[in-house]
Amino acid sequence: MEFDPKTLRKTVLEMAYAGSTVHIGCAFSIIELLSILYKNHLRYPQNNPLDKNRDYFILSKGHGVMAQYSCMRELGWLCDDDFSNYFSDGSDLKGLADSRIPGIEVTSGSLGHGLSVGVGLAMGAKLRNTDQKTYVLVGDGEINEGPIWEGALFAAHHKLNNFMIIVDENGYQAMGRTKDIIELGLIQSKFESFGFEAITIDGHNESDIDNAITQLWESDNKMPKALIAKTVKGKGVHFMENNNIWHYTRLNEKTYRQALLSIDESKE
Amino acid sequence: MRAALSKVLVNLAKKDSNVILLTGDHGYSLFDDFRRECPSQYINAGIAEQNMVGVASGLARSGFRPIVYGLSAFIPIRVLEQIKLDVAHDCLPIIFIGDGAGFVYSHLGTSHQSLEDIACTRVIPNLSVYSPADRLELTQCMELAYRENSAIYLRIGKSDRGDIHKSLSIIEPKKMLKVKKGVVNKYSFLATGSMVRTAIDIAVESYPEADVWSVPIIKPINYIQIEKICRNSKAIVVFEEHSKYGGLGSLVAEISAEHSPTKILRIATNDCFSQKCGTYEYLLKEHGLDIETIQANIRSFLRNV
Repeated sequence: MEFDPKTLRKTVLEMAYAGSTVHIGCAFSIIELLSILYKNHLRYPQNNPLDKNRDYFILSKGHGVMAQYSCMRELGWLCDDDFSNYFSDGSDLKGLADSRIPGIEVTSGSLGHGLSVGVGLAMGAKLRNTDQKTYVLVGDGEINEGPIWEGALFAAHHKLNNFMIIVDENGYQAMGRTKDIIELGLIQSKFESFGFEAITIDGHNESDIDNAITQLWESDNKMPKALIAKTVKGKGVHFMENNNIWHYTRLNEKTYRQALLSIDESKE
Repeated sequence: MRAALSKVLVNLAKKDSNVILLTGDHGYSLFDDFRRECPSQYINAGIAEQNMVGVASGLARSGFRPIVYGLSAFIPIRVLEQIKLDVAHDCLPIIFIGDGAGFVYSHLGTSHQSLEDIACTRVIPNLSVYSPADRLELTQCMELAYRENSAIYLRIGKSDRGDIHKSLSIIEPKKMLKVKKGVVNKYSFLATGSMVRTAIDIAVESYPEADVWSVPIIKPINYIQIEKICRNSKAIVVFEEHSKYGGLGSLVAEISAEHSPTKILRIATNDCFSQKCGTYEYLLKEHGLDIETIQANIRSFLRNV
């Protein structure tokens, strides 16, 4: 299981083309984050997505689910048919994260839900005195939602230092730039003011991601953690990068080929 | 009823250490015993109901048995999407207690009044809806809710209307409970929650031939029993402190229309918010749920049956 970002992005393209689906850009911005999480941090005993001692990963921005499916293929939790038949009638994988698929903890896509559920899981682990960790990945647009901040207050108050929120700060939401819609300001400062230990990193630099996660867990304090990942929406395909039409645009044969080529030709 | 609620919560929590009570900063004095007896199983989640339901969902996923308490204007109405998506979708065992339903907070206005909660919860798959009428029904509904190990909304309305059931013997809340016997093939009164007392009082005073049934469980409803009542009744009157849209009256009418058409009068609130401030009794009158208005509506209805 390499979780090679290029391979993961190609898998996203394969299924987006097969299913003629949207939400490619928001899957591409979290590829490296998921790659490092699955490769080095998330613990699934016996590679069982339902093991009761597993760490929890919640993709609260359910729109990026194709990135998660791509990782789940590497883990052997999904098979090739799931990808070639994406969006066909009667198929299992939906366009937003759905808890009916083992490996996906919660049904998301209605934004602002996943953080609170993750906080509850983290609290459960504390009450049971296990060493399970909970990660919740949210979009920067998603943090417009009020329950994110309700959950942040709660996590800090209850000293849930087994909980980490990861913010995919790609600077865009469905209809445009976050700074033009709801200015978010300094996300790290906001979480710090809520009582989190927070770090901001380049969300496409794998070693930075890996080190930051390790550093946050190694801190000897009672604070929940926030990893702010500066990312590029559409990362990895030159004509999709920072081009928000790829939130809603479907691939055709030509753009599919061009996108694959762009991934092959990219340096990293 | 509130003493019974406190007692059953303490009993469940003492019996099962996985029971965790979450409140959205509501329940002043109600949880004194609980906090004293089971302090580690009590969480005041603050004035943040959406997060509270999400946290309860996470706790249930880790094997806990959350009981989420709030006013029914907030639990379930404010958090309906969290209940649908974070709880019911995954069949998680969480009991939602919505207190103060109907016009209990008569002086506080629309924000604290709840006349739409049955309709809104009835339509969510995997979510049951309980509506006990007195302390016995409440206790047994709570115990059943715990045993059912699924998502349940339990509605508590006006809680000081006295006991409906005389004996403290075991009742079977999954069945509708006959609380006054009348004459076969005559009228049947069906009521839930606070309005069971009203239905009994009206029947005793004016319609001794009417059967009166208490309906502590609205979903899953006992279809067979309702069909039978429809078949055996010349007319049915349904009482609830809830909107006439989507509540028990609607439910009985749906079943009747499909299986055994019967004339049905729905005693419920019309499609309007409260206009004025006043006592509980005043608000009932404003919404046509006072005894005199109900009596007049029943008389008029039965004249045309």
